[in-house]
Amino acid sequence: MKIVTVGCGMAAAEFVETLRTNGSNDDIVMISNEPFIPYSPCSMPFYISGEPIDTVFWKGINFYKRYNIKTILGRPVTNIAVENKCVEINGSDRIFYDKLFFASGSRSYFPDDNWLNIAGVFGFKNLQDILVIDNYIKSEKVKRAVVFGGGFIGIDAALSLWKRGLNVTVVHRNNRVLSQMTDQEGGIYATEKLREKTGINIILKSVVKNIIVDSGKLKGVTLDNGDSLAAELLIVTIGVIPNTEMLGVNTKGIEVDFDLKYHNDVYVAGDVASTKHMITQKSGVYATYPNARSQARSIAYDILFNKNLFRGSLNTNVLKKHIEFPIISAGYFEGDPYTYCDEEIFRRIYLKDDQIYGYLLVGDTSISGFIYNLYISQKKVGNNIMKFLSLKRGKAYYIQALSV
Amino acid sequence: MKRIFIDYEKCVACKACEIACAIEHHPDKSVLSLVGDKKAHSNVKVIAVENINFASSCRHCDPAYCVDACPSGALKRDRFMNAVIVDPYMCKACAMCAMVCPFDAITFKKTYNSPFGRDHAVKCDFCIERIKIGLNPACVDACKTKALVFTDSESFVKSKEKADLKSFLVGHSKEPANVKLFKELKKEML
Ligand code: SF4
Ligand code: SF4
Repeated sequence: MKIVTVGCGMAAAEFVETLRTNGSNDDIVMISNEPFIPYSPCSMPFYISGEPIDTVFWKGINFYKRYNIKTILGRPVTNIAVENKCVEINGSDRIFYDKLFFASGSRSYFPDDNWLNIAGVFGFKNLQDILVIDNYIKSEKVKRAVVFGGGFIGIDAALSLWKRGLNVTVVHRNNRVLSQMTDQEGGIYATEKLREKTGINIILKSVVKNIIVDSGKLKGVTLDNGDSLAAELLIVTIGVIPNTEMLGVNTKGIEVDFDLKYHNDVYVAGDVASTKHMITQKSGVYATYPNARSQARSIAYDILFNKNLFRGSLNTNVLKKHIEFPIISAGYFEGDPYTYCDEEIFRRIYLKDDQIYGYLLVGDTSISGFIYNLYISQKKVGNNIMKFLSLKRGKAYYIQALSV
Repeated sequence: MKRIFIDYEKCVACKACEIACAIEHHPDKSVLSLVGDKKAHSNVKVIAVENINFASSCRHCDPAYCVDACPSGALKRDRFMNAVIVDPYMCKACAMCAMVCPFDAITFKKTYNSPFGRDHAVKCDFCIERIKIGLNPACVDACKTKALVFTDSESFVKSKEKADLKSFLVGHSKEPANVKLFKELKKEML
Protein backbone atom coordinates (compact mmCIF):
# COMPACT_ATOMS: atom_id res chain seq x y z
CA MET A 1 0.00 0.00 0.00
CA LYS A 2 1.16 3.53 -0.66
CA ILE A 3 0.42 6.09 2.03
CA VAL A 4 0.97 9.76 1.32
CA THR A 5 0.89 12.65 3.78
CA VAL A 6 0.35 16.21 2.70
CA GLY A 7 2.20 18.07 5.42
CA CYS A 8 5.11 17.17 7.68
CA GLY A 9 3.76 18.81 10.81
CA MET A 10 2.92 17.36 14.19
CA ALA A 11 -0.13 15.43 12.99
CA ALA A 12 1.71 13.88 10.04
CA ALA A 13 4.77 12.97 12.12
CA GLU A 14 2.60 11.36 14.77
CA PHE A 15 0.65 9.50 12.09
CA VAL A 16 3.72 8.11 10.41
CA GLU A 17 5.32 7.14 13.70
CA THR A 18 2.15 5.30 14.78
CA LEU A 19 2.07 3.41 11.48
CA ARG A 20 5.70 2.35 11.75
CA THR A 21 5.67 1.46 15.43
CA ASN A 22 2.64 -0.72 14.78
CA GLY A 23 4.37 -2.73 12.12
CA SER A 24 3.45 -0.99 8.88
CA ASN A 25 5.84 -1.74 6.00
CA ASP A 26 3.89 0.36 3.56
CA ASP A 27 5.50 2.85 1.22
CA ILE A 28 5.21 6.20 2.92
CA VAL A 29 5.74 9.53 1.21
CA MET A 30 5.60 12.83 3.10
CA ILE A 31 5.09 15.99 1.07
CA SER A 32 5.45 19.54 2.35
CA ASN A 33 6.11 23.00 1.03
CA GLU A 34 8.38 23.47 4.05
CA PRO A 35 11.94 22.18 3.82
CA PHE A 36 12.27 20.77 7.35
CA ILE A 37 12.30 17.63 9.42
CA PRO A 38 9.20 17.52 11.64
CA TYR A 39 9.40 20.28 14.23
CA SER A 40 7.33 21.34 17.20
CA PRO A 41 5.58 24.70 16.92
CA CYS A 42 5.36 24.59 20.69
CA SER A 43 9.14 24.45 21.04
CA MET A 44 10.19 26.75 18.23
CA PRO A 45 9.70 30.14 19.94
CA PHE A 46 12.52 29.10 22.28
CA TYR A 47 14.93 29.42 19.38
CA ILE A 48 14.16 33.15 19.41
CA SER A 49 14.80 33.31 23.13
CA GLY A 50 18.19 31.70 22.62
CA GLU A 51 17.85 27.92 22.93
CA PRO A 52 19.42 25.55 20.40
CA ILE A 53 17.62 24.65 17.18
CA ASP A 54 17.90 20.89 17.67
CA THR A 55 15.40 21.09 20.53
CA VAL A 56 12.62 21.99 18.09
CA PHE A 57 12.95 18.70 16.21
CA TRP A 58 10.78 16.86 18.67
CA LYS A 59 10.81 13.46 16.95
CA GLY A 60 14.56 13.49 16.45
CA ILE A 61 16.69 14.74 13.59
CA ASN A 62 16.87 11.31 11.93
CA PHE A 63 13.09 11.01 11.71
CA TYR A 64 12.77 10.33 7.98
CA LYS A 65 15.60 7.85 7.94
CA ARG A 66 14.56 6.07 11.11
CA TYR A 67 11.10 5.40 9.72
CA ASN A 68 12.17 4.86 6.13
CA ILE A 69 10.12 7.73 4.70
CA LYS A 70 10.41 9.15 1.21
CA THR A 71 10.07 12.91 1.25
CA ILE A 72 9.18 15.63 -1.17
CA LEU A 73 10.09 18.82 0.64
CA GLY A 74 10.08 22.50 -0.18
CA ARG A 75 7.54 22.03 -2.96
CA PRO A 76 3.86 22.98 -2.73
CA VAL A 77 0.97 20.65 -3.39
CA THR A 78 -1.14 22.48 -5.95
CA ASN A 79 -4.09 20.15 -6.39
CA ILE A 80 -5.53 16.90 -5.12
CA ALA A 81 -7.73 14.84 -7.38
CA VAL A 82 -9.54 12.55 -4.94
CA GLU A 83 -11.33 10.57 -7.67
CA ASN A 84 -8.01 9.66 -9.29
CA LYS A 85 -6.22 9.34 -5.93
CA CYS A 86 -3.58 11.73 -7.12
CA VAL A 87 -1.61 14.58 -5.55
CA GLU A 88 -0.25 17.19 -7.92
CA ILE A 89 2.94 18.95 -6.90
CA ASN A 90 4.04 22.29 -8.23
CA GLY A 91 1.42 22.11 -10.96
CA SER A 92 3.15 19.23 -12.73
CA ASP A 93 4.48 16.14 -10.90
CA ARG A 94 1.90 13.59 -9.88
CA ILE A 95 2.01 11.23 -6.93
CA PHE A 96 -0.61 8.51 -6.65
CA TYR A 97 -1.76 7.13 -3.31
CA ASP A 98 -3.86 4.39 -1.78
CA LYS A 99 -4.45 6.38 1.41
CA LEU A 100 -3.98 10.11 1.83
CA PHE A 101 -3.37 11.83 5.15
CA PHE A 102 -4.16 15.48 4.66
CA ALA A 103 -2.66 17.72 7.35
CA SER A 104 -1.27 20.72 5.57
CA GLY A 105 -1.51 23.04 8.58
CA SER A 106 -2.40 26.70 8.55
CA ARG A 107 -0.77 30.05 7.88
CA SER A 108 -0.89 33.50 9.45
CA TYR A 109 -3.65 35.85 8.45
CA PHE A 110 -2.56 39.39 7.50
CA PRO A 111 -5.06 42.26 7.45
CA ASP A 112 -3.30 43.78 4.47
CA ASP A 113 -1.37 41.73 1.93
CA ASN A 114 0.97 44.63 1.27
CA TRP A 115 2.40 44.21 4.77
CA LEU A 116 3.95 40.97 3.59
CA ASN A 117 6.36 42.87 1.36
CA ILE A 118 7.71 45.04 4.14
CA ALA A 119 10.94 44.00 5.85
CA GLY A 120 10.29 43.61 9.55
CA VAL A 121 6.70 42.32 9.34
CA PHE A 122 6.29 38.62 10.02
CA GLY A 123 3.79 35.94 10.99
CA PHE A 124 4.56 33.50 13.78
CA LYS A 125 3.26 30.24 12.49
CA ASN A 126 6.08 28.15 11.10
CA LEU A 127 9.76 27.49 11.55
CA GLN A 128 10.61 29.62 8.53
CA ASP A 129 9.02 32.62 10.31
CA ILE A 130 11.11 31.91 13.39
CA LEU A 131 14.40 31.63 11.50
CA VAL A 132 13.73 34.79 9.54
CA ILE A 133 12.71 36.73 12.65
CA ASP A 134 15.85 35.62 14.45
CA ASN A 135 17.97 36.71 11.53
CA TYR A 136 16.22 40.03 11.22
CA ILE A 137 16.65 40.81 14.91
CA LYS A 138 20.38 40.17 14.55
CA SER A 139 21.01 41.95 11.26
CA GLU A 140 18.86 45.00 12.03
CA LYS A 141 19.75 45.11 15.72
CA VAL A 142 16.07 45.18 16.58
CA LYS A 143 15.23 46.70 19.96
CA ARG A 144 11.47 47.24 19.83
CA ALA A 145 8.79 44.82 18.72
CA VAL A 146 5.03 45.10 18.39
CA VAL A 147 2.91 41.98 18.48
CA PHE A 148 -0.49 42.56 16.92
CA GLY A 149 -2.95 40.06 18.39
CA GLY A 150 -2.87 38.85 21.99
CA GLY A 151 -4.22 35.34 21.51
CA PHE A 152 -2.23 32.26 22.44
CA ILE A 153 0.26 32.54 19.58
CA GLY A 154 0.66 36.28 20.09
CA ILE A 155 1.45 35.96 23.79
CA ASP A 156 3.77 33.04 23.05
CA ALA A 157 5.59 35.25 20.54
CA ALA A 158 5.65 38.24 22.87
CA LEU A 159 7.13 36.19 25.72
CA SER A 160 9.91 34.76 23.58
CA LEU A 161 10.85 38.20 22.25
CA TRP A 162 10.73 39.61 25.77
CA LYS A 163 13.05 36.81 26.94
CA ARG A 164 15.38 37.74 24.13
CA GLY A 165 15.63 41.18 25.70
CA LEU A 166 13.48 43.17 23.31
CA ASN A 167 11.10 45.89 24.34
CA VAL A 168 7.74 44.29 23.50
CA THR A 169 4.27 45.77 23.09
CA VAL A 170 1.20 43.63 22.52
CA VAL A 171 -1.75 45.32 20.81
CA HIS A 172 -5.00 43.48 21.29
CA ARG A 173 -8.56 44.19 20.21
CA ASN A 174 -10.34 42.80 23.27
CA ASN A 175 -10.46 44.05 26.88
CA ARG A 176 -8.08 41.24 27.95
CA VAL A 177 -5.45 39.08 26.27
CA LEU A 178 -6.05 35.38 25.60
CA SER A 179 -9.70 36.31 25.20
CA GLN A 180 -10.64 33.02 23.55
CA MET A 181 -9.33 30.90 26.41
CA THR A 182 -10.58 33.06 29.29
CA ASP A 183 -13.78 34.54 30.63
CA GLN A 184 -14.00 38.26 31.51
CA GLU A 185 -12.80 38.15 35.08
CA GLY A 186 -10.24 35.36 34.71
CA GLY A 187 -8.86 36.94 31.56
CA ILE A 188 -8.44 40.31 33.24
CA TYR A 189 -6.73 38.57 36.17
CA ALA A 190 -4.36 36.80 33.75
CA THR A 191 -3.69 40.01 31.83
CA GLU A 192 -2.80 41.84 35.06
CA LYS A 193 -0.47 38.98 36.05
CA LEU A 194 1.29 39.22 32.71
CA ARG A 195 1.70 42.95 33.16
CA GLU A 196 2.94 42.59 36.69
CA LYS A 197 5.36 39.68 36.21
CA THR A 198 6.78 40.34 32.77
CA GLY A 199 8.03 43.50 31.19
CA ILE A 200 5.58 43.27 28.31
CA ASN A 201 3.56 46.35 27.55
CA ILE A 202 -0.06 45.48 26.79
CA ILE A 203 -2.38 47.86 24.93
CA LEU A 204 -5.99 46.68 24.96
CA LYS A 205 -9.11 47.58 22.96
CA SER A 206 -6.86 48.67 20.11
CA VAL A 207 -5.77 47.46 16.71
CA VAL A 208 -2.85 48.25 14.45
CA LYS A 209 -4.31 50.36 11.64
CA ASN A 210 -1.26 51.18 9.60
CA ILE A 211 2.42 50.54 9.41
CA ILE A 212 5.11 53.18 9.13
CA VAL A 213 7.69 52.29 6.52
CA ASP A 214 10.94 53.85 5.44
CA SER A 215 12.89 52.49 2.43
CA GLY A 216 11.05 49.19 2.57
CA LYS A 217 11.67 48.66 6.25
CA LEU A 218 9.28 48.85 9.16
CA LYS A 219 9.76 51.84 11.45
CA GLY A 220 6.60 51.71 13.50
CA VAL A 221 2.85 51.27 13.60
CA THR A 222 -0.16 53.50 14.09
CA LEU A 223 -3.14 52.38 16.13
CA ASP A 224 -6.82 52.99 15.55
CA ASN A 225 -6.86 55.71 18.20
CA GLY A 226 -4.24 57.63 16.26
CA ASP A 227 -1.29 56.86 18.57
CA SER A 228 1.88 55.62 16.99
CA LEU A 229 4.57 53.30 18.30
CA ALA A 230 8.14 53.10 17.05
CA ALA A 231 9.21 49.53 16.30
CA GLU A 232 11.54 47.68 13.97
CA LEU A 233 9.61 44.45 14.20
CA LEU A 234 5.90 43.68 13.83
CA ILE A 235 4.58 40.19 14.47
CA VAL A 236 1.05 39.66 13.19
CA THR A 237 -0.88 37.06 15.15
CA ILE A 238 -4.53 37.99 14.68
CA GLY A 239 -5.60 34.72 13.17
CA VAL A 240 -4.73 31.74 11.02
CA ILE A 241 -6.05 30.34 7.77
CA PRO A 242 -6.14 26.56 7.26
CA ASN A 243 -4.33 25.51 4.08
CA THR A 244 -7.24 23.76 2.40
CA GLU A 245 -7.30 25.33 -1.07
CA MET A 246 -5.67 22.35 -2.76
CA LEU A 247 -8.67 20.24 -1.82
CA GLY A 248 -10.94 22.92 -3.24
CA VAL A 249 -12.55 23.58 0.15
CA ASN A 250 -13.43 26.88 1.86
CA THR A 251 -11.01 28.22 4.43
CA LYS A 252 -12.81 27.42 7.68
CA GLY A 253 -11.42 23.92 7.95
CA ILE A 254 -12.57 20.66 6.45
CA GLU A 255 -15.52 19.34 8.35
CA VAL A 256 -15.29 15.65 9.16
CA ASP A 257 -17.18 13.20 11.34
CA PHE A 258 -15.64 10.88 13.94
CA ASP A 259 -14.11 8.77 11.16
CA LEU A 260 -12.00 11.82 10.17
CA LYS A 261 -12.62 11.01 6.50
CA TYR A 262 -13.07 13.64 3.86
CA HIS A 263 -13.43 11.06 1.13
CA ASN A 264 -13.07 7.25 0.93
CA ASP A 265 -9.30 7.21 1.18
CA VAL A 266 -8.65 10.75 2.30
CA TYR A 267 -8.29 11.55 5.99
CA VAL A 268 -7.78 14.98 7.52
CA ALA A 269 -6.15 15.97 10.80
CA GLY A 270 -4.56 18.87 12.64
CA ASP A 271 -5.07 22.54 11.86
CA VAL A 272 -7.11 21.86 8.72
CA ALA A 273 -9.62 19.53 10.33
CA SER A 274 -12.94 20.74 11.65
CA THR A 275 -13.82 17.95 14.05
CA LYS A 276 -16.52 17.26 16.60
CA HIS A 277 -15.91 18.38 20.18
CA MET A 278 -15.73 15.49 22.63
CA ILE A 279 -18.17 17.05 25.08
CA THR A 280 -20.38 19.42 23.11
CA GLN A 281 -20.22 17.62 19.72
CA LYS A 282 -19.90 21.05 18.11
CA SER A 283 -17.71 21.06 15.01
CA GLY A 284 -14.70 23.34 14.93
CA VAL A 285 -10.99 23.60 14.30
CA TYR A 286 -9.45 22.67 17.64
CA ALA A 287 -5.84 23.26 16.74
CA THR A 288 -3.78 21.90 19.62
CA TYR A 289 -1.19 19.18 19.76
CA PRO A 290 -3.17 16.64 21.83
CA ASN A 291 -5.99 16.80 19.28
CA ALA A 292 -3.60 16.43 16.35
CA ARG A 293 -2.08 13.44 18.11
CA SER A 294 -5.34 11.66 18.84
CA GLN A 295 -6.61 12.32 15.31
CA ALA A 296 -3.37 11.07 13.77
CA ARG A 297 -3.29 7.93 15.86
CA SER A 298 -6.94 7.16 15.21
CA ILE A 299 -6.38 7.42 11.49
CA ALA A 300 -3.33 5.16 11.65
CA TYR A 301 -5.34 2.59 13.62
CA ASP A 302 -8.17 2.84 11.15
CA ILE A 303 -5.83 2.11 8.25
CA LEU A 304 -3.93 -0.67 10.01
CA PHE A 305 -6.59 -2.40 12.07
CA ASN A 306 -9.85 -0.99 10.81
CA LYS A 307 -10.44 0.39 14.30
CA ASN A 308 -11.86 3.83 14.88
CA LEU A 309 -10.78 5.24 18.24
CA PHE A 310 -11.50 8.93 17.80
CA ARG A 311 -13.92 10.27 20.38
CA GLY A 312 -13.68 13.94 19.52
CA SER A 313 -11.40 16.90 20.12
CA LEU A 314 -11.02 19.10 23.16
CA ASN A 315 -10.35 22.80 23.44
CA THR A 316 -7.91 22.54 26.33
CA ASN A 317 -4.92 24.80 26.45
CA VAL A 318 -2.22 26.05 28.78
CA LEU A 319 0.15 28.97 28.60
CA LYS A 320 3.11 28.56 30.90
CA LYS A 321 6.29 28.91 28.84
CA HIS A 322 8.60 31.59 30.28
CA ILE A 323 6.21 32.42 33.10
CA GLU A 324 5.56 30.95 36.51
CA PHE A 325 1.80 31.33 36.60
CA PRO A 326 0.26 28.84 34.19
CA ILE A 327 -2.97 29.90 32.51
CA ILE A 328 -5.06 26.80 31.90
CA SER A 329 -8.42 26.58 30.23
CA ALA A 330 -10.85 24.10 28.75
CA GLY A 331 -14.41 23.91 27.56
CA TYR A 332 -16.84 26.79 27.48
CA PHE A 333 -17.64 29.41 30.06
CA GLU A 334 -21.35 28.82 30.37
CA GLY A 335 -23.45 27.51 33.23
CA ASP A 336 -23.00 28.08 36.96
CA PRO A 337 -19.60 29.48 37.91
CA TYR A 338 -17.76 28.34 41.06
CA THR A 339 -14.76 30.49 41.91
CA TYR A 340 -11.75 30.52 44.20
CA CYS A 341 -9.43 33.48 44.05
CA ASP A 342 -6.49 34.79 46.08
CA GLU A 343 -3.43 36.86 45.29
CA GLU A 344 -1.64 34.15 43.35
CA ILE A 345 -4.46 31.93 42.14
CA PHE A 346 -7.67 32.34 40.19
CA ARG A 347 -9.75 29.20 39.67
CA ARG A 348 -13.19 29.05 38.16
CA ILE A 349 -15.26 26.08 37.09
CA TYR A 350 -18.50 26.24 35.16
CA LEU A 351 -21.06 23.53 35.80
CA LYS A 352 -24.05 22.51 33.73
CA ASP A 353 -26.29 19.73 35.07
CA ASP A 354 -23.69 19.10 37.77
CA GLN A 355 -21.04 18.35 35.14
CA ILE A 356 -18.05 20.47 34.25
CA TYR A 357 -18.69 22.52 31.12
CA GLY A 358 -15.61 24.69 31.21
CA TYR A 359 -12.83 25.84 33.51
CA LEU A 360 -10.11 28.37 33.92
CA LEU A 361 -7.19 27.90 36.30
CA VAL A 362 -4.58 30.63 36.66
CA GLY A 363 -1.54 30.49 38.93
CA ASP A 364 -0.60 26.85 39.34
CA THR A 365 -1.25 23.33 38.09
CA SER A 366 -2.15 21.71 41.44
CA ILE A 367 -5.70 20.67 40.66
CA SER A 368 -5.63 20.94 36.87
CA GLY A 369 -5.16 17.26 36.05
CA PHE A 370 -7.82 16.25 38.51
CA ILE A 371 -10.28 18.76 37.07
CA TYR A 372 -9.33 17.73 33.53
CA ASN A 373 -10.27 14.15 34.31
CA LEU A 374 -13.57 15.16 35.88
CA TYR A 375 -14.22 17.19 32.75
CA ILE A 376 -13.47 14.55 30.14
CA SER A 377 -15.26 11.84 32.10
CA GLN A 378 -18.24 14.19 32.63
CA LYS A 379 -18.67 12.86 36.15
CA LYS A 380 -21.45 14.43 38.18
CA VAL A 381 -19.72 16.68 40.68
CA GLY A 382 -22.35 19.05 41.98
CA ASN A 383 -21.53 21.27 44.92
CA ASN A 384 -18.62 19.04 45.87
CA ILE A 385 -16.55 21.06 43.48
CA MET A 386 -16.05 23.81 46.05
CA LYS A 387 -14.03 21.56 48.31
CA PHE A 388 -11.48 20.95 45.57
CA LEU A 389 -11.19 24.51 44.34
CA SER A 390 -8.96 25.84 47.07
CA LEU A 391 -6.68 22.80 47.42
CA LYS A 392 -2.92 23.05 47.42
CA ARG A 393 -0.55 20.58 45.91
CA GLY A 394 -1.29 16.95 45.25
CA LYS A 395 -4.40 16.27 47.26
CA ALA A 396 -7.44 16.47 45.03
CA TYR A 397 -7.27 13.01 43.55
CA TYR A 398 -6.78 11.31 46.90
CA ILE A 399 -9.53 13.22 48.64
CA GLN A 400 -11.88 12.00 45.95
CA ALA A 401 -10.50 8.44 45.99
CA LEU A 402 -10.63 8.10 49.76
CA SER A 403 -14.07 9.60 50.13
CA VAL A 404 -15.81 7.04 47.93
CA MET B 1 7.25 -4.86 36.14
CA LYS B 2 8.23 -3.44 39.52
CA ARG B 3 6.55 -0.31 40.83
CA ILE B 4 6.63 1.77 43.98
CA PHE B 5 3.55 1.28 46.14
CA ILE B 6 2.40 3.21 49.14
CA ASP B 7 1.00 1.30 52.06
CA TYR B 8 -0.63 4.35 53.57
CA GLU B 9 -1.60 2.72 56.81
CA LYS B 10 2.07 2.51 57.67
CA CYS B 11 3.09 6.04 56.72
CA VAL B 12 3.88 8.26 59.72
CA ALA B 13 4.63 11.34 57.64
CA CYS B 14 8.25 11.51 58.80
CA LYS B 15 9.30 12.77 55.34
CA ALA B 16 12.40 10.60 55.24
CA CYS B 17 11.44 9.75 51.65
CA GLU B 18 11.32 13.42 50.65
CA ILE B 19 14.77 14.02 52.08
CA ALA B 20 16.23 10.87 50.54
CA CYS B 21 14.85 11.84 47.13
CA ALA B 22 16.28 15.34 47.39
CA ILE B 23 19.70 13.97 48.37
CA GLU B 24 19.63 11.44 45.55
CA HIS B 25 18.90 14.18 43.02
CA HIS B 26 21.45 16.63 44.40
CA PRO B 27 24.92 16.62 42.84
CA ASP B 28 26.59 16.60 46.29
CA LYS B 29 24.49 13.69 47.57
CA SER B 30 24.55 15.09 51.07
CA VAL B 31 21.84 16.27 53.39
CA LEU B 32 23.76 19.39 54.41
CA SER B 33 23.82 20.67 50.85
CA LEU B 34 20.04 20.73 50.79
CA VAL B 35 19.80 23.48 53.37
CA GLY B 36 18.76 26.68 51.69
CA ASP B 37 19.46 25.31 48.24
CA LYS B 38 16.74 26.56 45.89
CA LYS B 39 17.72 24.10 43.21
CA ALA B 40 17.22 21.09 45.45
CA HIS B 41 13.98 19.24 44.88
CA SER B 42 12.12 16.12 45.92
CA ASN B 43 9.96 14.17 43.52
CA VAL B 44 7.93 12.62 46.27
CA LYS B 45 5.69 14.58 48.58
CA VAL B 46 4.05 13.54 51.81
CA ILE B 47 0.49 14.74 51.90
CA ALA B 48 -2.19 14.54 54.52
CA VAL B 49 -5.81 13.89 53.70
CA GLU B 50 -8.24 13.71 56.61
CA ASN B 51 -5.80 12.26 59.12
CA ILE B 52 -4.27 9.90 56.63
CA ASN B 53 -0.70 10.61 55.58
CA PHE B 54 1.06 9.14 52.65
CA ALA B 55 3.84 9.76 50.21
CA SER B 56 2.58 10.69 46.79
CA SER B 57 4.47 10.65 43.54
CA CYS B 58 4.26 9.74 39.87
CA ARG B 59 2.72 6.32 39.16
CA HIS B 60 4.40 5.87 35.79
CA CYS B 61 1.01 5.23 34.22
CA ASP B 62 0.71 3.20 31.05
CA PRO B 63 -0.67 4.71 28.94
CA ALA B 64 0.30 7.99 30.56
CA TYR B 65 -1.67 11.17 30.14
CA CYS B 66 1.48 13.24 30.39
CA VAL B 67 3.41 11.40 27.67
CA ASP B 68 0.48 11.75 25.31
CA ALA B 69 0.26 15.47 26.01
CA CYS B 70 3.90 16.49 25.56
CA PRO B 71 4.34 18.45 22.33
CA SER B 72 8.12 18.68 22.57
CA GLY B 73 9.35 15.10 22.64
CA ALA B 74 10.49 15.58 26.24
CA LEU B 75 8.53 12.82 27.95
CA LYS B 76 9.58 9.33 27.04
CA ARG B 77 9.18 5.83 28.29
CA ASP B 78 12.39 4.22 29.42
CA ARG B 79 12.88 0.73 28.00
CA PHE B 80 14.44 -0.72 31.11
CA MET B 81 11.73 0.00 33.67
CA ASN B 82 8.94 1.28 31.42
CA ALA B 83 9.19 4.42 33.55
CA VAL B 84 8.07 7.84 32.37
CA ILE B 85 11.10 10.11 32.18
CA VAL B 86 11.50 13.85 31.46
CA ASP B 87 14.35 14.99 29.26
CA PRO B 88 15.21 18.49 30.55
CA TYR B 89 17.07 19.27 27.33
CA MET B 90 13.89 18.94 25.25
CA CYS B 91 11.41 20.20 27.87
CA LYS B 92 10.02 23.68 27.25
CA ALA B 93 8.15 23.93 30.55
CA CYS B 94 4.90 24.36 28.65
CA ALA B 95 2.89 22.49 31.33
CA MET B 96 0.82 20.48 28.85
CA CYS B 97 1.79 17.43 30.90
CA ALA B 98 1.01 18.92 34.29
CA MET B 99 -2.32 20.11 32.97
CA VAL B 100 -3.53 16.51 32.56
CA CYS B 101 -1.74 14.46 35.24
CA PRO B 102 -4.51 13.35 37.62
CA PHE B 103 -2.10 12.98 40.53
CA ASP B 104 -0.38 16.34 40.30
CA ALA B 105 2.92 14.50 40.01
CA ILE B 106 4.67 17.10 37.85
CA THR B 107 6.05 20.39 39.09
CA PHE B 108 8.33 23.00 37.57
CA LYS B 109 11.68 24.02 38.90
CA LYS B 110 15.10 25.22 37.97
CA THR B 111 17.33 22.31 38.99
CA TYR B 112 20.93 21.19 38.63
CA ASN B 113 19.81 19.48 35.43
CA SER B 114 18.44 22.64 33.80
CA PRO B 115 20.42 23.05 30.59
CA PHE B 116 19.12 26.53 29.80
CA GLY B 117 18.99 28.22 33.18
CA ARG B 118 15.22 28.05 33.50
CA ASP B 119 12.63 25.74 35.01
CA HIS B 120 11.60 22.46 33.45
CA ALA B 121 9.15 19.68 34.28
CA VAL B 122 10.29 17.75 37.33
CA LYS B 123 8.94 14.37 38.29
CA CYS B 124 9.91 10.98 39.70
CA ASP B 125 12.56 9.31 37.53
CA PHE B 126 12.27 6.02 39.38
CA CYS B 127 15.93 6.29 40.41
CA ILE B 128 16.68 4.33 37.26
CA GLU B 129 20.43 4.54 37.84
CA ARG B 130 20.08 2.97 41.27
CA ILE B 131 17.83 0.22 40.01
CA LYS B 132 20.30 -0.60 37.26
CA ILE B 133 22.90 -1.45 39.89
CA GLY B 134 20.49 -3.49 41.95
CA LEU B 135 19.41 -0.91 44.53
CA ASN B 136 15.91 0.21 45.41
CA PRO B 137 14.65 3.71 44.67
CA ALA B 138 16.02 6.11 47.30
CA CYS B 139 12.62 6.82 48.88
CA VAL B 140 11.89 3.13 49.35
CA ASP B 141 15.21 2.52 51.10
CA ALA B 142 14.69 5.53 53.31
CA CYS B 143 11.25 4.52 54.54
CA LYS B 144 11.67 3.21 58.07
CA THR B 145 8.13 1.85 58.47
CA LYS B 146 8.15 0.03 55.11
CA ALA B 147 5.21 2.10 53.93
CA LEU B 148 6.92 2.44 50.58
CA VAL B 149 7.36 -0.89 48.85
CA PHE B 150 9.08 -1.61 45.59
CA THR B 151 7.45 -4.71 44.22
CA ASP B 152 5.98 -6.37 41.21
CA SER B 153 2.85 -4.48 40.23
CA GLU B 154 0.81 -7.43 38.98
CA SER B 155 1.12 -9.44 42.16
CA PHE B 156 0.57 -6.45 44.39
CA VAL B 157 -2.54 -5.26 42.63
CA LYS B 158 -3.95 -8.77 42.36
CA SER B 159 -3.47 -9.33 46.05
CA LYS B 160 -5.97 -6.54 46.71
CA GLU B 161 -9.68 -7.07 46.79
CA LYS B 162 -10.24 -4.22 44.41
CA ALA B 163 -8.11 -3.57 41.39
CA ASP B 164 -9.17 0.04 41.12
CA LEU B 165 -6.87 2.97 41.71
CA LYS B 166 -7.88 3.23 45.32
CA SER B 167 -6.46 -0.19 46.01
CA PHE B 168 -3.15 1.13 44.76
CA LEU B 169 -3.03 3.02 47.99
CA VAL B 170 -4.61 0.61 50.37
CA GLY B 171 -2.52 -1.24 52.89
CA HIS B 172 -0.19 -4.06 52.02
CA SER B 173 -0.67 -5.41 55.53
CA LYS B 174 -2.36 -4.27 58.67
CA GLU B 175 -1.08 -1.26 60.52
CA PRO B 176 1.52 -2.25 63.12
CA ALA B 177 0.47 -1.49 66.70
CA ASN B 178 3.21 1.01 67.38
CA VAL B 179 2.37 2.95 64.24
CA LYS B 180 -1.27 2.97 65.18
CA LEU B 181 -0.45 4.35 68.59
CA PHE B 182 1.76 7.02 67.06
CA LYS B 183 -1.06 8.12 64.81
CA GLU B 184 -3.60 8.18 67.58
CA LEU B 185 -1.29 10.35 69.64
CA LYS B 186 -0.76 12.63 66.68
CA LYS B 187 -4.48 13.06 66.21
CA GLU B 188 -4.84 13.97 69.87
CA MET B 189 -2.18 16.59 69.50
CA LEU B 190 -3.81 18.27 66.50
S1 SF4 C 1 3.28 12.23 35.68
FE1 SF4 C 1 1.14 11.77 36.16
S2 SF4 C 1 0.23 11.12 34.19
FE2 SF4 C 1 2.47 11.02 33.97
S3 SF4 C 1 2.99 8.91 34.44
FE3 SF4 C 1 3.22 10.10 36.35
S4 SF4 C 1 1.26 9.93 37.40
FE4 SF4 C 1 0.92 9.27 35.27
S1 SF4 D 1 6.43 20.81 30.33
FE1 SF4 D 1 8.10 19.71 29.31
S2 SF4 D 1 7.64 17.54 29.62
FE2 SF4 D 1 5.77 18.69 30.09
S3 SF4 D 1 4.61 18.70 28.17
FE3 SF4 D 1 5.82 20.58 28.18
S4 SF4 D 1 7.72 20.07 27.12
FE4 SF4 D 1 6.73 18.12 27.66
